[in-house]
Amino acid sequence: MLKREEWLPLARKLDWNFSFTTEQEVFPAVISGQPWLPHAEWEDWDEAFKTSYREYVENQHEKDAAVYAVRDAVGRLENMENLATPWINGLKVHAAALALAEFTGTIGNLRGARFGRDSAWRAMACFGALDEFRHTQIPLILMHELVRWNPQFDWTHRFYHTNNWFAIAARHFFDELTLGQNAIEFHIATNVVLETGFTNLQFVGLASLAREAGDYLFEKMVTSIQTDEARHAQIGYPVLALVVKHDPEYAQYLIDKWFWRNWHMFSILTGVTMDYLTNAGQRSSSFKEFMEEWIVDQFFRTLDEFGLKKPWYWDIFLEELDIYHHMIYASAYTYRATLWFDFVMPGPEDRTWLSEKYPRHWHDMEAVWDRIGARWSEVGPGSDNEMFVHATALPTFCDLCQLPLSAGTPRNNTANTLTFEGRNYIFCSQPCRWIFLREPERYAGHKDLVKRVLSGEAPADFGELIGNYFSLTPETWGKDLHSGNYSWLSKPRSRAH
Amino acid sequence: MLPLYGFVEGDTIGVLILADETESVGSLAGKLREATSLRVDPGMDGDIVYEGTALDPASTLAEAGFRSLQRFDLRRKNGISESRGA
Repeated sequence: MLKREEWLPLARKLDWNFSFTTEQEVFPAVISGQPWLPHAEWEDWDEAFKTSYREYVENQHEKDAAVYAVRDAVGRLENMENLATPWINGLKVHAAALALAEFTGTIGNLRGARFGRDSAWRAMACFGALDEFRHTQIPLILMHELVRWNPQFDWTHRFYHTNNWFAIAARHFFDELTLGQNAIEFHIATNVVLETGFTNLQFVGLASLAREAGDYLFEKMVTSIQTDEARHAQIGYPVLALVVKHDPEYAQYLIDKWFWRNWHMFSILTGVTMDYLTNAGQRSSSFKEFMEEWIVDQFFRTLDEFGLKKPWYWDIFLEELDIYHHMIYASAYTYRATLWFDFVMPGPEDRTWLSEKYPRHWHDMEAVWDRIGARWSEVGPGSDNEMFVHATALPTFCDLCQLPLSAGTPRNNTANTLTFEGRNYIFCSQPCRWIFLREPERYAGHKDLVKRVLSGEAPADFGELIGNYFSLTPETWGKDLHSGNYSWLSKPRSRAH
Repeated sequence: MLPLYGFVEGDTIGVLILADETESVGSLAGKLREATSLRVDPGMDGDIVYEGTALDPASTLAEAGFRSLQRFDLRRKNGISESRGA
């Protein structure tokens, strides 16, 4: 009988030469991706971690059993009720963004499983698809328990089915990343940029905060998911290596484009939870510090390894690292009824910590929070006064990332306009504009929320927009967790700077 | 109707302002101040800046050359920020 080391190579390399069809017909460039190369170029494709179906099933069975054991031990409602309320709202954000996005990862991997250019790649992508299906079902089942306790958890399943502004942005991101993507770009964008970099932030950095917050169920869920990600993320590296060899400019473009798109999405998903929805005493590091450790260093190593350069916008990225998610959070707080989770104002302890972690721009954010606090002091706390401390002018969105025009700094918002083929567009930043102009045929037809309102596709009345278009109800729309009842609000406080 | 993207120096987000070509720049500034007053002091002493030029509050939007879906700013007088064009 053959040893594992002897038969596994036989089970990985299964391609043969076509006689009744052609390689171009079996693997058309439009769906297999560019550069289109004959199989002879791909036949040495090699994944670092090799597994068989039997090993895969055994490992996954053990991992699933461990997740459900933790759920049975500490995932009951009484356990959740003991968690800090801001953290529970961070959980709502992640649960909504995660579950169905993982399902789009299933579809992307299945495209690799069919149109990847070597049999070993296709086999690994099959396992990747099964992984992502698992990552879809775990949060759906874990959060389903919580819906009867808090209806905002229903957005775990509902989020992507709505026209909520953040759902529009998330769909724009994942539709391109996973659902509408060719195999080469999918595996570079998803495996190399998202899963090696940004999901580490989510699944390792956020997991450590979950432990500090006492949320052992979330910690177990994301660390279990991460073990799958670490395996299937390796598909992307040998794909990237061959693209770098044959078309280095295109490889650089894919890295630059997807790093930027991931950065904006994850700075909201993860940055807000880490710096605002985690209690001050439970934060081991700031979002920026996690980014520097898990993303910046890792990304540099990857670029070096493949002979690629830092993206041209690196200085812009470093500037945003200090301020972008702060601008987003303050803006979102003033539009909290447009989202499905609750918010908390940063108190004196939080602001001192934030001013130490983000000294470059925090003083500008301090002024904004002072202003919001002054409004609460003016109208008084209470749920009846929520809408007096809520903005009503229509917020504006980027025509590339579909996220609010909240980039740059409070002193210099970097939104910039473009007239392209007779239509007006606006972008939050120069990198978003650059991505749009590289592939306008891909992006130009999409309408952001403002264009939908102006064309009559979405209601202009703010109440109707929240209720009828964003699918929120008084029960589910976001509120201030304390209804403005903060003991420190009425007290005069000194500025951090 | 003239939909415009309005930005106030010190704010964290741009907002949509619906204006009319016949209304004054001063009126436009008032709309923007009101729309952002939850985050920025509406009493801030500032100028409306469009395409890099600070405008006379008495001029109309038509006279100032405003076009649909363009950016305009309310910037502090003697502001400390650099200009950021479209």
